[in-house]
Amino acid sequence: MVKKVLKYGMGVLSVALIVAQFIQPERTNSPADLAASFDAVAKPPREVAAVVARACRDCHSNQTEWPWYSRVAPVSWLVASDVKQGRAKLNFSQWNIYSPEMTRIKLGEMCGEVTKGDMPPLYYLPMHPVARVTPREVSAICSVPVAQAR
Amino acid sequence: MFMGTVACLFALLLGCARSGSESATIDAAKLKAYAPLPEVASAKEAVGERKVTLGRILYYDPRLSKSQKISCNSCHALTQYGVDNQATSNGHKGQKGDRNSPTVYNASLHFVQFWDGRAKNVEEQAKGPVLNPVEMAMTSEKQVITVLKSMPEYVDAFKKAFPDGRDPVTYDNMGKAIGAFERNLITPSRWDKFLKGDQAALTAEEKAGFNTFVASGCQTCHAGSLLGGNMYQKIGIVKPWPDTSDPGRFKVTNSEGDRFMFKVPSLRNIEKTGPYFHSGKIATLKEAIAKMADHQVGKTLSDAGIQSMETWMKSLTGEIPTDYIKQPELPKSTRKTPKPNEAD
Ligand code: HEC
Ligand code: HEC
Ligand code: HEC
Repeated sequence: MVKKVLKYGMGVLSVALIVAQFIQPERTNSPADLAASFDAVAKPPREVAAVVARACRDCHSNQTEWPWYSRVAPVSWLVASDVKQGRAKLNFSQWNIYSPEMTRIKLGEMCGEVTKGDMPPLYYLPMHPVARVTPREVSAICSVPVAQAR
Repeated sequence: MFMGTVACLFALLLGCARSGSESATIDAAKLKAYAPLPEVASAKEAVGERKVTLGRILYYDPRLSKSQKISCNSCHALTQYGVDNQATSNGHKGQKGDRNSPTVYNASLHFVQFWDGRAKNVEEQAKGPVLNPVEMAMTSEKQVITVLKSMPEYVDAFKKAFPDGRDPVTYDNMGKAIGAFERNLITPSRWDKFLKGDQAALTAEEKAGFNTFVASGCQTCHAGSLLGGNMYQKIGIVKPWPDTSDPGRFKVTNSEGDRFMFKVPSLRNIEKTGPYFHSGKIATLKEAIAKMADHQVGKTLSDAGIQSMETWMKSLTGEIPTDYIKQPELPKSTRKTPKPNEAD
């Protein structure tokens, strides 16, 4: 009896998982408008451009690299939601939306997040060890001159 | 990230539900992204008193419209926090425009003008409505100049405001004078007093409301001295906005990335400037707050949370500069002044 229920349960679960694969979140990698990017608009020092590309781009730009497991439900849903939230907060592919005042505020927030070690998120690091931000890079992010950034 | 499940665990462990009960003091770190309004006096000096005087007259003069019934003040009533409180405004012969009239108070401090940023400053902006067929509907710059030049008092006022030019009555100078007047339409409020260090300027409930605002993620777009007015953002960035009839900044740039992008509006005087959003279709501030949470940050707020934010937002209501906006006497029409035209 117990066996039967278990078997039945497993069956339902696998069917559900298979069905789930077909419900794929939208994974836009919209043609990044190069002229609007952080690199083109803010012209950051090379070190800052590099750390952003290495450690932030997956969640804060339209140039996300989607790893294989990001295609497997339910992980895919969580990943997509993270990227959506991340892009809504800060999008390095759309740096042309900011006034000089907002540019200063966003750079301040970036500095704050990496100083506290809140970004990139801890859970991202085990799979992306290269995304670790060094103390040198933290100070580079914190000293991007604002005049230059817009 | 990409280990979503681990992420969830982390979130639980850290109790990272960043909202929750909001205390009645504001952590200084949260205020870094905010600043008080600039002093009115310094703006006044920069633009020149005589330009301001002329600009005030032009602002109130309905003869800048074809019907001679509509002035800037018809849609941006200065005693009404710079708006008409209509979803969309009545223009020439009662025609409706397709967007809500934003306030002119503090507008000069926005990084660009209009919902879609198509004018760079208030001087350039002021030249738009006069010739807009559904607003003031004058047919050409020349027609406007004819009206202005028909009144010696205007010619005199332009000469005083622009002493350098030989022929100062120009369409550009009209825009500059109106802009000069608008640059002093600034409304500091208790929020500014608080930012300058007066802790008692806000009540405990208002402080808690600001904390709710930040915890809800609103500061991502509503920051700076205007709590907006300093960036573009897509309406419906997290959850699509149902009304897609207005493509926003796409109309200006034709760039796909600008579809549904609008200037983030300032929240100064927000309590007084409804109805809300570019369409003016959302009637109450509470509804507007709930819609923002849902579509811009992907959160459903409790009624208490909405109430709390609204309480704080009311502290952004500034004082209307009653003396500054007093309606001046308008130059008298002469025989040469063209007659109103409502026929077409
Ligand atoms: C694994 C995805 C991911 C990576 C990688 C990542 N972020 Fe984020 N970031 C997010 C998410 C999700 C949010 C929104 C968090 C929230 O709402 O609490 C966010 C929010 C932010 C914010 C806004 C914080 C706020 O309070 O509004 C800043 C600034 C930021 N990230 C900077 C960075 C920088 C700089 C990097 C690279 C050094 C980076 N992030 C890397 C996912 C990521
Ligand atoms: C018929 C109503 C109407 C009249 C008359 C009118 N406006 Fe407007 N005004 C609007 C509307 C509607 C908008 C928003 C249009 C848009 O963004 O596409 C607007 C936008 C503005 C803005 C931009 C504010 C912001 O937040 O971007 C300013 C400043 C302004 N008007 C000033 C004026 C001045 C000065 C005059 C007189 C020369 C004037 N308006 C006449 C309806 C009107
Ligand atoms: C991702 C950017 C973003 C975030 C986050 C955001 N807003 Fe907005 N907000 C906008 C934009 C863009 C508009 C103008 C939308 C339109 O009318 O097209 C707007 C408009 C508004 C308006 C109406 C203003 C007016 O004059 O009509 C209110 C009120 C408002 N937001 C409050 C909030 C609150 C409260 C939050 C947090 C729950 C919030 N916003 C979060 C971008 C944002």
